Order: sequence, then structure tokens, then C-alpha cells
Amino acid sequence: MNLAATGMAAVVAIGLVTALLAAVVPARSAVVGVGTAVTGAAAVVAGAAALAGGSFSVVLPEVLPLSGVALTLDPLGGLFVAVTGGVAVAAGIYAMSYVDSLDLRTRGVQVALPLFVVAMALVPAAANVSTLLVCWELMALASLVLVVAEHRRGPRVASAGRWYAVMTHLGFVSVLIGLMVFVAHAPDDSFAALREAGGRLSPAVAGVVFVATLAGFTSKAGIVPLHAWLPRAHPEAPSHVSALMSAAMVNLGVYGVVRVGVDLLGGGTAWWWLLVLALGAVSAVYGILQAAMSSDLKRLLGQSTTENMGLVLVGIGAAGLFASSGEHTLAALALTAALLHVVGHAAFKTLLFLAAGSVLHATGSRDLDALGGLRPVMPVTTAAFGLGALAASALPPGTAFVSEWLLLQALIHGLPAGGVAAAIAMPVAVAAVALTAGLAVATFVKAFGVGFLAKPRSGAAADAHESPFTMLAGMGVAAVVCVVLALWPAGVLPAVQAAAGGAAVSGDVTLRLSQATGALSPLLLTLGLLAAVVVVAGVVRAAVARRARREARLWDCGGGPMSARMEYTATSFAEPLQRVFDDVVQPELDVDVSHHQESRYLVQAVEYRRKVPDRIERRLYEPVLNAITAWGGAGRRLASGSVHRYLGYGFYVVCGALILLAVTR
Amino acid sequence: MQLLYLACGALLLTAVLVLWRRELSVIIRVFAVQGAALAVLVAVLAAQENSVELWAVAVGVLVLRAGVLPYLLRRALAGAGESRRETRPLVNVSASLLAAAALTLLAYAVSQPLVALAPSAATQAIPVGVTVVLIGFFVLVTRRRALSQLVGFLLMDNGITAVGFLTTTGVGLVVELGVSLDVLLAVLVLQVLTTRMRETFGDTDLDELRELRD
Repeated sequence: MNLAATGMAAVVAIGLVTALLAAVVPARSAVVGVGTAVTGAAAVVAGAAALAGGSFSVVLPEVLPLSGVALTLDPLGGLFVAVTGGVAVAAGIYAMSYVDSLDLRTRGVQVALPLFVVAMALVPAAANVSTLLVCWELMALASLVLVVAEHRRGPRVASAGRWYAVMTHLGFVSVLIGLMVFVAHAPDDSFAALREAGGRLSPAVAGVVFVATLAGFTSKAGIVPLHAWLPRAHPEAPSHVSALMSAAMVNLGVYGVVRVGVDLLGGGTAWWWLLVLALGAVSAVYGILQAAMSSDLKRLLGQSTTENMGLVLVGIGAAGLFASSGEHTLAALALTAALLHVVGHAAFKTLLFLAAGSVLHATGSRDLDALGGLRPVMPVTTAAFGLGALAASALPPGTAFVSEWLLLQALIHGLPAGGVAAAIAMPVAVAAVALTAGLAVATFVKAFGVGFLAKPRSGAAADAHESPFTMLAGMGVAAVVCVVLALWPAGVLPAVQAAAGGAAVSGDVTLRLSQATGALSPLLLTLGLLAAVVVVAGVVRAAVARRARREARLWDCGGGPMSARMEYTATSFAEPLQRVFDDVVQPELDVDVSHHQESRYLVQAVEYRRKVPDRIERRLYEPVLNAITAWGGAGRRLASGSVHRYLGYGFYVVCGALILLAVTR
Repeated sequence: MQLLYLACGALLLTAVLVLWRRELSVIIRVFAVQGAALAVLVAVLAAQENSVELWAVAVGVLVLRAGVLPYLLRRALAGAGESRRETRPLVNVSASLLAAAALTLLAYAVSQPLVALAPSAATQAIPVGVTVVLIGFFVLVTRRRALSQLVGFLLMDNGITAVGFLTTTGVGLVVELGVSLDVLLAVLVLQVLTTRMRETFGDTDLDELRELRD
């Protein structure tokens, strides 16, 4: 039994014991927090061992009927297990006091948390279709329980739960259909058999399998157009669960696409990957645009998850496209960039969601327009969110910068590589990634600046207080990982490359590109940047010191002292962007001007309301929902309330069936 | 053999009589006769197979369906006061009889393949059992009084039991015991429900209960 196997065994054992203890022990929150964190640590160890080459494989035929449970941890799965574990460590430590403060100690919720982590760690380790689907469903159910944990807070939580339940199960059905079609062409449902059969599938069957599984997996990853549940469910869940869902669970959708598309089906044809590329690019731009318009802190973070998963899919699509045209080095580079972005996104999204939870804990509000002025009262949380925002915007000393830079390198150097399709797709993808990066900067400047700096805009924000130690410690874990990933990506790059190589992008996976001349060291860049900042600050300080210092009020046009009402709000900050993208987002504006009774020329109040509805949702989901509602209404007319009529339906159907039987036989 | 066919004939005849008569007390008496006919049917099969277990089942069927269940129904009727007649069935009596004829034809048409599987004296009588099931369902659909609906439900169960015995010559003591207990419980629950309905609404016309929906 090697380290990876021991680690996975520990994950399952500790997770289940924690769930059991959560059901019986009175002091649940501490037990569950520690148990979840230890489970996560075991998952990190197992994943790291698998990435270092210690893969294992085990078959337990008795556990599930018919096909049994089969687990294998290869480098690709190991990466996702390790990422999940890392997020679980931070979320577990954080949950210890967060759960107590928000009164989430109910037994069901506490039992579901370790089960959720175990299920997420098992999904990438599954080695046959039955195991994958069972773990996938367990993951969906556990997360559903956690999403509706705060159901007493209002009907929005229940609505979010319904959206999530329906969409995640439709996605499950789609994955099920795809994999069943696949298994029908293989001797059994183990991945080894599928891998062997994948090469022999006819293009039509392989296309059906790929598209069906792509729809299911991308719905889990929150990719447009199957993203509607994500900005609903992620914000309504408790924040440590949001972190787990947004930083760990969505990754498994990406894992599914890579596992089935690249590994099991063996690459496939170019149009698959063009589709993936297009979906990714659209999601990235649309997700960040929605986030830029959003004034709900956690919703903004959820929409940013759609954006980041979109960027990951751009990388995977590019990798598949390069591989199908024989450019294996470039394919490995693009896939490495995508997987590195998965790791980086997990780190900073965990940090951001935990910091947002800390704000929610202190103020009870997620509305950016009601926050502000948190820096003096919540210095650690502010620093954590600031670091996360820097990491999320693709600027040089940030975590996302490294992976997005690699991704851009791959896309740019791919231009002469592929055929006509690549020649058209690559420049568009480069433009989409660049636009996304720019919008991400605006979004996170808004989130950080409006949410944390300046003066408080509400009493709740003014009365905020710093969070307890364990919550800060949870954020600290995520922050350290963020900094390490930003400054020393070379430390994790070999592991990510091992995972990318494990995904059967054949050919050697060295990053020494002959035609790629771009080279960059994030550490040197950061040192340079810091040095520049110090120099500039020193020069300014020196220049200022020459003159006598004078304390004075900020210039306010003579309008009296500055109040919080004069600040930029999240809505007003996003207004220029909203004007630029007016045709895309189509906001609903509503301006109400009420006058004084004495004179129409004197304005009493101006009320400005802006709503940015999700256009894709409106165009795509509403017709379907309306049709279902109409169908339900028609069905309701059948149920008049008469018992005899109900019995009569049964009688007529039985007689009809018998007559049909008698006639057709 | 003749006795088997006689029992089956009695089964069918009593089912039709339930449709024909309106007096609830008469319907209960007819139902008791049908229970006895079912017991005879099982007894004949027991004599053919020469099995003690089947004899025990026959006795059980006799006690339950000709004794206990009619007794419970009569007790429910005694509490009913003046509403002792099925006054306005949804389908009138003559139409009901015609429908019963049609259902019999349908049952014969449908059970031909079952009979053809293993032609024997017992399986030849399967259509009778199916007819009783269908007529029971018809009673359930068309009668207004809760009590006559109960009888309809029990007719269906009698029919199902008859088909079971005719096709397999005995489904085992344990299964039969379980089913009988089930039926007994259902009748007890429905009896309580009927009493409650009468106390609450002063009537047991199920068509008055139209508000029980979303």
C-alpha cells in the first residue's frame, strides 16, 4: 500500500468517522471543522503522492452490486484530489467558528459537510463509470443539503436550492446518457476498457458521447448556457460551502471534460475542441461582464467562477485543437496553463469566498452598496480580500496572471500551428481572454474598493468587527497558497505538467518551446514591482517633505463635509462599463423623479433603479419554464377533485390497455 | 370439476348481483356469498392437489371473506342510519349490467393467452377471475356511497385472489395470509374513515368531497 492509497483510505475513513461523530457528538462544529480539515489534508497528501508518480488502483467488487467500486489515482486525478483537499483544509478550519456564529449547527448540515468533501475527493479517483456516477450523485446531494442550510433566511434560498437540484440532476442525466452510450460499445464499464474502446468508436457515436458528457460536465462547471444555477446557489450557501463549491466542485466538471474527451475518447476531432473553445470564451466574457454589473458580493464571486471556468475551457479547447492537428508540445502547454488556472482559481476563490463570509458574518450584508469602510475595523479580512482580488485580476503579482499568461502564450504561438480553424479561432480566443482579464481588473477593483475602502454606507458596516481567530486562520491558509502560487509557480508547475502528461497528451511535455521566446519570472517581476513602488513612494515622500505639511479637509466644492452618500457605489462604478456593453447586457433602468407639491421645478427625490437581468437566462430558460408551467396548468385541469373521476381515469386506462392488448395480439 | 365451475359461476353471478341490487344490506349479503364461493373454489383445488396447506387457506378465506369482512361491513351499515340505499349511482343499473357484459367479453379476450399457456380445467376459469376484478373496479368508479365503494374494492380483491389460485393452484400460505391481513386492515381503516366522514359531513357521498385538491 503506497502513500496515495493510504491517503485515499484516510480520506474516506476520516470523512466517514467525522460524519458519524457529527451525528452524535454535541459539540459538532469543532469536530466537523477539524475532521473536514484533516480529511482535506489527507486528500492533499494522496493527490501529491499520485502527482509524484505513486499511482494506485484498487477494486472492491462487493461494495456496489453488478460492477463494484474501482478506484485509481493517476496524476490527472491526483491534481484534482489535491486541489479539493486544499480547499477543504481552509474551509474546515474556517467552518469551526463560522458555523457557530451563523447558527448552522443543525445535524444534517454538519453531517453533509465531510460527506461532500469525501465525495469530491472520490470523483477524480473513480476508475469505472458506476463509481464515478455514484460519487457524482453523492456530491450533488450533499452539496444540495448544504446549499439549503440557511433556508430560514428567506425564499431565495429555497429557490436557489430548487434551481440547483433541477439543473444538477439534468446534468447528471446528460452525463449518464453519454457514458451509457459509451459503455454499450465497450466490454465493461471500467475506464481501462473504455479507453481501449474509445479509439474504435465511429465518429458519430464518439460525437454523441462527447457532446452529452460535455453538456453534463459543463453544467457542473457553470459554463454558459448551463450556468443559471451557479449565481443563485453559490451565494446562498454558507460561505465555507460556497468556497468548497466554487473552488473545488466546479473543477470536477473540468476534470470530467478532460477525462472523457482527452483520456477515454482519445482526443477526437477538431470540431469538439472548437466547441469547447467557443463555450469557454463566451462563458469567460459573459461571466465577468455579469460580475462587473453585480452589486452582490457573493453573487459577483459566483459569476467570476463562470468566467474562470470559461478560461480553463479555453485552454482545454486549445489543447484539444492542437493535439488533433499534431502539435503535441503546444497542446501540453495549453493544458498545463488550463490546469494551473484550475489550481490558482481554487486558491484565490477560496480566499475570496471566505473573506466575503467574514464580511457577511460581521455586517450581515452582502450588498456592496451597503458596505464600505471596513478597512479600519476588519484589517485582516480587508487584507485577505485585497490579496484575493489581486490574485483574481490577471495583473503581474497575482495568481491568475501566471496561468493566463501561459494560456495567452499558448494561444499566440498556436496561430501558425493549426489549420484554417485555428487561424480563425486563436485570435478571437486571444481577444476574449484579454477582454476578460481587463474586465476582471475592473470587477475586483470595484469589489475591493467599494466594499472595503472609503466610508461605511450603512450602520451595519460601521458597526462591523473582526472575525474570530479560526476564520482568519482559514483565510490565512488560502492566502499563503495564493502567494506561493503567484511568486513561485515553478514549484507547482512540474506537478501540473505531470497531470497534463497523465491526460494522455502524448509526446514529450517539456515546456522548452522552440518557437516560444517569451520568458518571465513572476518572482523577479514582483521584486521589480515592489522596488519600483518603494522608489516612487520614496521620491514622493522626499518631494513632499521639502514643503511644510498642512492638515486640511478634502476639497468638497463647498458642499459641506464629505458624507458616505457622495461615494462611488458599486452601481455607479459599473455604470460606464454598463454603457459600453449596453447592447450585450441590456440593463433595465428605472428613474423616478418626485417633485415638491409647491413647485414642479423643485425636485424632492430622484430614485434610480437598475436591474441587470441575465439575458441568456431570459431568452433560453423562460420559454422552457413557461412551456412547463402551461403543461402543468393543463394537467391540473384533469384533477377536478372528484374521487370518482380519479378512479375513472384508472379504470379507463386499464380497460384501454386491455383492449389494446386484445386487439393487437 | 363440476364443483369448480359451479363455484366460478357463483363468483361471476354474485359480482353481477352487486351491480344490480341497490339495497346496501343485500349487497353485503351477496358479497358474503361470493366469499363462500371463493372458499369453495380454493377447497376444490385443495381436494385436487390433496394439500393440507390449501385446505387451511380455504378455511381462512371462508372465515375472512364470508365471515369477518361482511360482519365489519354490516356493522358500518348499522351506524349509517337511513342512508341504506345506493340511490343515485353515476351509471344506472341497466347500463351497469350492459357494461358488465362488455367487461366480461373483454376479460375473456384478454385472458386467452394466459389460458393457452397451460390449458387445464382450472386455468379455463381465469376469465371469471379477471371479470370479477374489472366489475369490482367498475363498482368502485360508479357508486357513490362509501360502503358500496368498499364492496367494490373487496370485489377486486376477491377477483385477484381467484385469478391467483386458478393460475398457480395456491400461492402459498404465507402470501395468502399477508394479503388477507392487508385487506382486513384496509377495510378497518376505510370503515373508520367512513364513520368519520358521516360524523363530519352527515353523508358518505364521495362526490361531495371536491375541495380536496391543490
